[in-house]
Amino acid sequence: MADLLFELGVEEIPALAVSGIRDQLRDLFLARLAQDQIAHGDVECVASNRRLMVHIAQIPEKTASKEETVLGPAKRIALDDRGLPTVALKKFCEFQKVKLTDVVEIETAKGKYLGITRAAGGNDAAALLTAGIPAILAGLTFPKTMVWNESRRPFIRPIKNILVLFNNKLLDVEFAGVKSSNKVFGHLLLSDSYFEVNSFKDYIQGLSKNFIILKEEERKSKILAEILDIEEELECQVKLDDEMLNYYLYSNEYPVVFSGSFNAKYLGLPAEIITAFMIHEKKLLPVVDRAGKLTNHFVGVANIPDENKKVSHGNEKVIQAAFEDAQFFWEIDRKEDYFALKQLLKNVVFQKELGTYFEKVERLAALVDLLVNETQHGALRAKLQKAAFNCKNDLLTKMVREFPSLQGIMGGLYLQAAGEDETVWKAIYGHYKPRGLTDEKLEDLGAGILSIADRMDNIAGFIGKGIKISSSKDPYGIRRDANAVIKIIMDLELGLDLAPLIRLAALNFAKNDADLEQNYKTIRELFAARLENYLKDHLKYRYDVVNAVMGQDTMAIRDKFLKAQAVVKLVDSGMIEPLAALHRRLKNICSDSERCNFSEGLLKEKEEKILSDVFKESKSRIDDLIMKKNFLQASSEILEMKPIIDRFFEKILVMDKNVPLRKNRIALLQHINELLSAVADFSLLVEIKSGGKT
Amino acid sequence: MSVQNVILKLQEFWAERGCYIASGYDSEVGAGTMTPDTFFRVLGKKPWQVAYWQPARRPDDGRYGQNPNRVQKHNQFQVILKPVPVDGQLLFLDSLIYLGVDIRIHDIKFDDDNWASPSLGAWGVGWQVMCDGLEITQFTYFQQAGGIELNPNSLEITYGVERLAMFLDGKNNLYELDWGNKVSYAHLKLEEERQFSIYNFELADIDMLRGLFVQYQKEAERLLDHNLFLPAYDYVLKCSHTFNILDARKAISVAERTALMGIMRNLAARIAQKYVMQTEGENHG
Repeated sequence: MADLLFELGVEEIPALAVSGIRDQLRDLFLARLAQDQIAHGDVECVASNRRLMVHIAQIPEKTASKEETVLGPAKRIALDDRGLPTVALKKFCEFQKVKLTDVVEIETAKGKYLGITRAAGGNDAAALLTAGIPAILAGLTFPKTMVWNESRRPFIRPIKNILVLFNNKLLDVEFAGVKSSNKVFGHLLLSDSYFEVNSFKDYIQGLSKNFIILKEEERKSKILAEILDIEEELECQVKLDDEMLNYYLYSNEYPVVFSGSFNAKYLGLPAEIITAFMIHEKKLLPVVDRAGKLTNHFVGVANIPDENKKVSHGNEKVIQAAFEDAQFFWEIDRKEDYFALKQLLKNVVFQKELGTYFEKVERLAALVDLLVNETQHGALRAKLQKAAFNCKNDLLTKMVREFPSLQGIMGGLYLQAAGEDETVWKAIYGHYKPRGLTDEKLEDLGAGILSIADRMDNIAGFIGKGIKISSSKDPYGIRRDANAVIKIIMDLELGLDLAPLIRLAALNFAKNDADLEQNYKTIRELFAARLENYLKDHLKYRYDVVNAVMGQDTMAIRDKFLKAQAVVKLVDSGMIEPLAALHRRLKNICSDSERCNFSEGLLKEKEEKILSDVFKESKSRIDDLIMKKNFLQASSEILEMKPIIDRFFEKILVMDKNVPLRKNRIALLQHINELLSAVADFSLLVEIKSGGKT
Repeated sequence: MSVQNVILKLQEFWAERGCYIASGYDSEVGAGTMTPDTFFRVLGKKPWQVAYWQPARRPDDGRYGQNPNRVQKHNQFQVILKPVPVDGQLLFLDSLIYLGVDIRIHDIKFDDDNWASPSLGAWGVGWQVMCDGLEITQFTYFQQAGGIELNPNSLEITYGVERLAMFLDGKNNLYELDWGNKVSYAHLKLEEERQFSIYNFELADIDMLRGLFVQYQKEAERLLDHNLFLPAYDYVLKCSHTFNILDARKAISVAERTALMGIMRNLAARIAQKYVMQTEGENHG
């Protein structure tokens, strides 16, 4: 048994790309081992921005031997009437490089075949790996590649070294013009270039002597522990999110946390600006006090120990210079009349073929008008239309031109500073939220409404322009916009049917009536698909629960969620089984028949009269419950009718020979079916057991 | 360390490593990359090693002399190594050591930052080099220039001279820098920054500049018809600087920006093709 040590030394890979490449590499190795039938033990794959390491234990030096059968043509094709070999058989032998005498008859389920048996496997693992590794590396894909040497082989960054040690011997591998060698490089700054590696033990020892913390988990716990130390020392909280942790993890091979402070006068800038400059510009973390207020401290992660405080002091200077710039933008922008900037939006193109931002905000105001009506917030109309007209003005400010991630936020802050009404500035401030489904819960109604308008305009615009999205392609973020609309509706509990909004938004970009209908349909399908995804993947509703509520042709997003919630409760309380059985039975009868008219006068038997009376008595109450979105109560009231319906089925022959009687009975059942279907299609629930969530 | 010593030391360092020490170009450029010693010489097959000090104008970066870290005209030190050396990063670190940077106590990072100049049809892959959080250098493997795929590729190292001097001298404000022999940066540049900021942001004549852009463009096209790609390129540089002033004046809309960039990119591409044709013959793309 031998082990394989592979290390690819690379110049700095962009931090946020590293873990994806590591996962690809691991998958490619496993696939290749399987393809080459190389048995193996544990596979370890770890990465930093400068190296990707794969260590595979317990590889036999030869792959297992076995007898292999190669089927040739069927016997009736392989031999002619006289039992002589045909061209098909000769070709087979030629291809397999065997003689006709090697061919044997093989019995299969499909009949008799000719073919050969031969010894297979027993291959040299070293040779297979030597051939396999360049193929593995060639299989890696990257968002952006480069070339740098005569090999012209695209890769993410130049490759410095390839170490392939099998059974402690170097394998001769070449990729992208780089030949394998056992010289591994250490830390960029702290190590004296290369060290030699002749075993996995050498490798691990060499790395630790040369200031490389190889394993992600170790780097991560070092960073977290050192941040905790600083939090205790400063009695504060460091604002670390996953993306920044990931960035630090993959931009340092020897991470050391440092802290520093800046002149407190810059705390006079809005917190949003300070935070954006620290995180996005300088890769430093803001520090807040116990009350959650920003302090003049920051935390960062260096790739070397900072005993002399050089790193900390350097970063202090840099962050203050950045704040100096921020201060300049903040002051110069506020000298402008914010509302006057709107006219200049006539010069700013929103998207090719979709007009300017000036035209966009005019459209947004119309969409907002519809939205305040549909959500019964007419009182906000004037303020939210003002917000809509002016929500893109900040694109012309120096701050946003320099830092596009602050768009919206800056518009809000500039108006707040100018003393504008809170509803107006807050709507502009928050109208780019949410960035994703996992964002924190949205609170501001005005911002939510403006955001829905903006997103719907984006979606209608791109779809109107003919942009198609697929599972892998969504260059304009149409899906993200639809997800955002769904999240806003859910967070703010808006009882909004999107259909009229979609129509109005689509109308702005339609070339003709047919085009309008097509785009309207496409957008509805987009939202249906996103909602389904939201319920299944985000809220973890079981697929059949989601199917049961998705059917009805409505764009009332929140209703579908409430219905799913009710169905899950019905599943959990055991009420779903009789409901599902009832709905299936009703659908069976109703789906085969055309729509029938009901007349009380045609009721003949006792059981159908009782059912009709009970239904009449319950219907208005249940309709009312449905209107009030109390889907659980509505369902259980329907369920209460079940004994009477069952009795009806027991005693009454629906398919009576008398056609008017038959049609009348079907009509009664159709009414009940419609009522039930207004809640959900219970017949689609397949697993009648508790746990409507996955 | 003074500003002039940073320049002198870098010239020494790269001269010893085989670079020809050029002068910066005598026309306004936004970056050392636009200098003919880079723009033309990265094209084609011939090896090329050059290093030069290039003042770079970015009208929009002006701060009226009031920002300690930003100016509308700064100084770059540009190195082109063609083909790409195998140990470019280490060579660069050596140059920092030569300047007196102790790389064991300063956090030097190669932070993902790809470079592109849409108006020159040029782009590359690489990093901004950060030293204790300060961007001191742009380190780029050129992939394309003038719309032409480069083969061999070049390594471009662009040092920010003021940034390096501030770092080496421990200064927080670039106007406190010593340019050399006690001549202060403020004495040399403060008034220039103030006047050019007022000009670029407030007084530049928009109509005149728009007119000039068109004239420069026409002149470049006319010269190209005569196969005079070197003077034609000068007029593209003039277009570029004119564009930058108009941009600082907020006189360019997004749509117009795309159009004007397209004009410059097309000119740069035609110029690059003529250069390759003349110096490399028909057998090169």
